[in-house]
Order: sequence, then C-alpha cells, then structure tokens
Amino acid sequence: MTGLSRPARERTALLGLAALLVVLIAYPLFELVRAAFDQGWGTFVDALRGRGTPAAVWNTVWTGAAATAIALTVGTAAALVTERSAAGRRRWLRVGMLLPILIPPFVSALGWTEAFGPAGLLDDLFGIDLPGLFGPLGVVVVISINTAPLAYLVVAAGLTSRAEPDLERAARASGATAWQGFRTITLPLLRPSLISAGGLAFVVAVNSFGVPVLLGTPAGFETMTTRIYRSLALSADPEAFVGVVAVAAALVGITFLAVAVSDAWSWLGGAVVRTGTPAGTPAAGWTSRWPVIGLSGYVIVTSLIPLVALCLRALTRAVGVAPWPSNWTLANFGEAIDGAGGAFLNSVLLAAAAAFLSVALGGAVAALGRGRRRGWLGSVPVLTFAVPGSALAVAVLLAYGARLRDSLLLILVAYLAKFWALGHRPIAGSLENLPLDAVRAARASGAGAATALRTVVVPMLWPAVAAAWVLVFLFSFHELTMSALLYGPGSETLAVVILNLRQIGDVTVTAAMAVLLTLVVLAAGGLLGLARRGGASS
Amino acid sequence: MRSRFLGILVGAALALSACGDDPGGTLRIYTSVTQETLDAVVAGYQGSYPGVEVEVFRAPTGELTARIAAEQREGGLTADVLWLTDPLSMGQYAADGLLLAWAPASLEAVPEEFRTDSSWGTRVLTMVAVHGLDVPAPASWEDLTGPAYAAGVAIPDPGFAGSALGALGWFALDPGYGFDFYRRLATNGAVQVPSPGEVVTGVAEGRFAAGITLESSARDAIAKGSPIAITRPAPGAIGIYSPIAVVAGGAGEAAARDFVEHVLSVAGQEAIASTGWRPIREDVAWDRSGGLVYPDWNRVVELRDQLLNEYLVVFGG
Repeated sequence: MTGLSRPARERTALLGLAALLVVLIAYPLFELVRAAFDQGWGTFVDALRGRGTPAAVWNTVWTGAAATAIALTVGTAAALVTERSAAGRRRWLRVGMLLPILIPPFVSALGWTEAFGPAGLLDDLFGIDLPGLFGPLGVVVVISINTAPLAYLVVAAGLTSRAEPDLERAARASGATAWQGFRTITLPLLRPSLISAGGLAFVVAVNSFGVPVLLGTPAGFETMTTRIYRSLALSADPEAFVGVVAVAAALVGITFLAVAVSDAWSWLGGAVVRTGTPAGTPAAGWTSRWPVIGLSGYVIVTSLIPLVALCLRALTRAVGVAPWPSNWTLANFGEAIDGAGGAFLNSVLLAAAAAFLSVALGGAVAALGRGRRRGWLGSVPVLTFAVPGSALAVAVLLAYGARLRDSLLLILVAYLAKFWALGHRPIAGSLENLPLDAVRAARASGAGAATALRTVVVPMLWPAVAAAWVLVFLFSFHELTMSALLYGPGSETLAVVILNLRQIGDVTVTAAMAVLLTLVVLAAGGLLGLARRGGASS
Repeated sequence: MRSRFLGILVGAALALSACGDDPGGTLRIYTSVTQETLDAVVAGYQGSYPGVEVEVFRAPTGELTARIAAEQREGGLTADVLWLTDPLSMGQYAADGLLLAWAPASLEAVPEEFRTDSSWGTRVLTMVAVHGLDVPAPASWEDLTGPAYAAGVAIPDPGFAGSALGALGWFALDPGYGFDFYRRLATNGAVQVPSPGEVVTGVAEGRFAAGITLESSARDAIAKGSPIAITRPAPGAIGIYSPIAVVAGGAGEAAARDFVEHVLSVAGQEAIASTGWRPIREDVAWDRSGGLVYPDWNRVVELRDQLLNEYLVVFGG
C-alpha cells in the first residue's frame, strides 16, 4: 500500500490516534484546569466556598455514596437470584433487571413522579404517594435504580467466573447455613467484583444530572451537576461562570479519586488465591420461589409501573383529570411531534455520527492496542468515560466554544470524547478472542491479506462492531447532561426539549415526548440484544 | 476504499459544522414568547419576506438572559431581535447600548406607557389567580393569605419567569401589599414552583388550593379539560407588557426592523391575539373588560436586586 515499513506505519497510526485523543479530551481538560486555577489556588477555593456550593459538593458525595451502597446491595441480591436460583424464568428476570440501563435516567425520574409523586397514578388509585420523592430521598432512590443494573452485570459476571462450587458444597455439607456459606465463601470471592462495581456505580451516580435536576431542583436540593447547569444555563451573573469552572474541575477530581481508590483497593486487598478451576455447575443455592417473586416485584415496581404511569399521562388529555380511557387522546403525541421534530432529527443525526466515529476510533485503538500496548491504551477509554458529562461539557465549551458555539459539531465533539469508550470496549473484547489460527489457515490456503480480512476477520468482528455502534447510538440519542449545557438555536436535542418543556410545566406533552424517545431507545436496545445473540451464536 | 470512507466522514463533519455557521440573509430571534405565538407571527412575516431565513432561540426568561450574558462575555450578541416577556432586562440592554433607537411606522398604535425609544410593547400578559373548582374564588389578592387557601398557594419563581417577576414588582411596590404580602403567603403555606405552567399543573392536580399564574396558561389547561377556574382578584389582574427591540449593528438589522414592523402591524397583532394573548394595539379586537394594574417598571428596574434579595429571604431557594 505505502512504502513505509510495518512498524513505521504503526507508529504513524499511533501518532494520529494520539493527536485525535488530545484534540477530543486532553486539550479541553487542560483548558478546564487552566481556567479553574487561572488566578491560583485562592480563587479556586473561594469559588468552591461560594454561596450554596459546599452544600452542592456535599450532596453530590453523599448521594453518590448512598446510591452506590443501594445499587451494590440490589445488584448483588439480583445476581444471586438470577445466577444461583434454580427457579425458571431467569432470562426474563435478567432482561427486567437490565431494563433501567436502556431507559434514560430523566425518563425514569419523570416516570417515578407520574407513578409515585403527588397526584401520580398511585395517588389517583389508592391515595398513596411517596413522601420525599422530590428531594434527596427521591434522588438517591431513582439514581440507585438506574445504577443497580451496572452493579448487577459486574457481580453476575463475577459469580459465574469466580464460582467455587466445591467450597460452597463443602461448607453446606459441614453444616453451614445458606447465609453462612454466602458470607464466608461467596462474598469474599466476590470482593474484587464488588469493588470494581462499587467504583463504577459511584462514578455513574456522581455523574448523574437528569435525576437531580427533575427531582432535586424543585425541592431546592442541589448537586454539583445541577449547580453547573443552573449557573451556566440560567444565570446572567458573570461571577457565576467562575464558580462553574471550579465546580466542574472539582467534579473531575472527585471521580478520578473514586476510580483511583477502587483500583488501589482491588490491587491491595482484592486479590484472591483460587483453589482450582471450578468443576461442574455451581451449587444451586435454593429452590425457594420467594427470591424470584421478590425480584420480579422489584422490577415491576421500579421500572414497569413508572413506564405505565408515564404512558397513561401521555395519553390523558389534560392535567387534573383521571388517566382512564374516557379521557384518552393522541393529541399530546401530535403536539410532541410538532414541537420536537427538529430536535428529534438533531438527536438522530448526532447519535448516528457519534456511533460511526466512535466505532471507527474505538476500533482503531483496539486494533493498535493489541499485544504490548494493551495495558495503557486500554485504560485511556475507561478514564475518559469516567470524566463527568457536566465537566466535560464545560471543558469542551472552554476549548472550542468560541468557534463552534451553537453547532451540532460542538455537541458531537463532547459525545465522541465521552462515548468512544463504549465503541472501544466490545471491539477490543472481540479482538482479544479472535482466533488467529483461522486467519493463518486462510493465508496458508492462499488467501491474500484483504481476502482473509474480508472472509475471516470481518465476519467474526461484525457482531461486536454492530453492538458497539448500537451502544453508542443509544447513549448519544438520549444524552441530556452535555447537550443541556452546549445546545443553542437550531442544535437542541430531543432530551433538551423534554427538559425545557417540563420546566415550563407542560406535563402531558412532556410525557408524550418521553414515551416516543423511550420507544426509539427500546427498539435500539432490542437490536443490541439481537446483535449480542448473533455474536454468541457465531 | 479507505480514502472514500474518510471523505464521507469529512463530508459529514462539514455538513454538521455548517449548521452552526451564520449564513447571510438570516434573521436571528431570541425570545421567550410561546412557540405557538412565535410560529403564527413568523409565518405572517415570511409571507411578506420569503427570502429571509428565520433562526429562533426560544427559552424561558432566566435561560434567555443567561445566554445573552454568555454571548456578551464571549465576543458579542449574535441576535438581531430580542422579544422578551417583561421590560426589566430590556431596560438594562438599552442602557448598555445594545439596542437600536428608531421609530417604527406603527409607533403611534402602541400606547405611550408601553414604549421607549428602542423597544415597544407587543402584547400584555396578565397574571391572575387560578383555583380548584371546589375552592372559593379569591375576591382580592389578599384573600390568598386567608384560611380558605391554607391547603397551599403556588407562586411562580421570579428568577425563572419574567411574568412572575412582573407580579413581584407590582405586589412588592404597592403600598397595600408590599413584602408583607409574601410573608403572609409564606406563613399560610404558600410554595414556590418554577414556572406559571407548573402552578396550573399543581392546582389542576389538586396539590394546591390556588395559585398565581399566567392567564393564557390557565386558559389552555381549561380548554383541554382541567378542573380549574380563573379569577381576577381586586384590584385587578397584573398586566405585564412584552417588549420587542432590534439589536444595533447586527448583520440582520434591516430584516429585524421589518420583523418588528410586522409584529406591531394589525396582521401581526391579530396573530398574537389568535394565539391567546391580549394584543397591545387597541384597534385589534379583544375582550378588555375587567381591571388591570401595571407595575411601575422604572422603579422595578431601579430596585431589581433589592426586590429579588428581599424575596429570597421569604422564599429562599
């Protein structure tokens, strides 16, 4: 192809990639830190001491910690039920448990207010509403529910790969109760999974914006992300911008600290000496139906009822009338489509562009990162994914705002910086498992490099590439945190329109838009499931 | 193969970036008026000027002023027309020299109290009381502090909505009401919600007995079937005029003048009236019965920070 030798070509590619990462992430973050410490430590600290800011920092940290604890407990319990219980219908429980990953957090928050809030569905039916839904309690609960699936995924994977059925059987045979067996055998084995799940859950919880802005802000409960939004989007005070930069920099600090602590902890205390590779299937812990019933109830209450309530609200013609068929109308959906058509197009365009570019970028990093460089090149995407969206948006605004203000390109830069890790992960995983023998066999049988790529590598990687594409599309399509800070005339995203309309108080049309958005997301999620299954079967 | 792929990517990136550029022949409107009204007025304008491409940034007052401030900080306002909810920030922009002083053709049709040399009223927003059907109508604003409304009165946030700020201006500066009125409301269990729309939603859902809100917002909900009623307590609904102005020195200044002329014309005013707002021109039909009181905007502009701070003491957020 070119006259360059192979190592030289690789070096050029690596340099190009490094340049791209600098443009996307390093330079914006540098600008953020520079702006925060522009006038030295003193102004940074003063800005963090500004009116209401210490409370916002504290609220972020404690709600993050509380949500992490709840998500870990729920995720572990759910993993035990789906992976260790002998009862049937585990497949459906897994899908139900993962449902909140697909539903955008702000849609969850809207669903919860329609289901359990004052004048919500349960209030209409039984006169019950959840006190404190607007405020810290609601923020923690809904963030936990959105974060639990991540903890569940990590712990369930840990349960299957780290199972020690012999030890567990031995414990039970020696007279330990199920609880003792769990506490002394299973739990210590799970520790590395729990630590990494905890780190992940904390980072996601601290990042969260859609939930606190809908459930916390109306009650005067502010977190760092809502404070950044309020000071940047709703304040005309020039002093506010100084505070925004300081809070954003502090938010990056908090998440990196969490990642570092969780890494160090699993390195120091998490290593487990294994007694041998698991033989046979894990011991079925119980045959009782109650855990399965309990988990089903959890899924129904936390995910299904809010979605149903949201749909009912979207169908009801006015606020204050009962959500029954006599009051149903499709007018809200008509208004939603009228009001959000352009934004819908923007979101589709942004999500598709982000998906294509992230897959290309993630794939390139995965291909270059094979072998020796795997270590550091693999951890870059993880770190960039940990940068909170609010802070990343402020950083991108500082770096490129002057030139790209109001353009979809500005939002695209932020999406790429945040989501290319999602494009990288599946492809890197699939590349690791690519059987090189098959490629060698093709070459030995006379196939050229291009033919081998086309007939062997591409078919094997295809499911992973498709999964990566859909994953990035999904997250970009319902993204709110960054687009709420970066949008301008003509570059509103669907999520931004929903947030703005909700704040103006149009509840029914907001619900209709949220339902439409969720339908698209669920359809994309179904595609993802298909791609995954295709990957598993090939 | 590879270069074609790259070509497509670059093409896509360029197409995306083009969305942010500011091509010639466009008119940029920054506004807080409702979408429906804006659509009706812009459609009429484009009927006369089909060649002008109209770009709109529409947001509630708080967000809009934040955006204008951010643009001023980052090198200059890009809007050609500002069409706001209340005259408060407009006064500041005029003082900063941002607005073009000129005389529209239909100047005389705008009552004198609703015009300055760079901005003109376009419509009058009215703040009224809204209450549940099983709750008595308040005869005067003062009634909202009484036991009949102890189940809760919702008031909109003046930091978020311009109309709410107008109400604050009238109540706080009226000798009969003043900040004591807000203190009595708070003691009686009144709650602040973000927007006038939220007030209507909360009252319709039965979460509040009554509320202070925008008449048009309440009327929309009633038209859809929400179980609420509107009253204009004595001494009257609070009127807030919504001003429009041309930004001086913008690329679209000529188009902006044409747009303002259209908004103040009979056709533009009829479009405003047809979407539920009281038109500023008295020669356009509207039911003008019922009392209206107006805040003294000169004093509100002068005392703005003091008013908001004193308000925050009562309904601190």
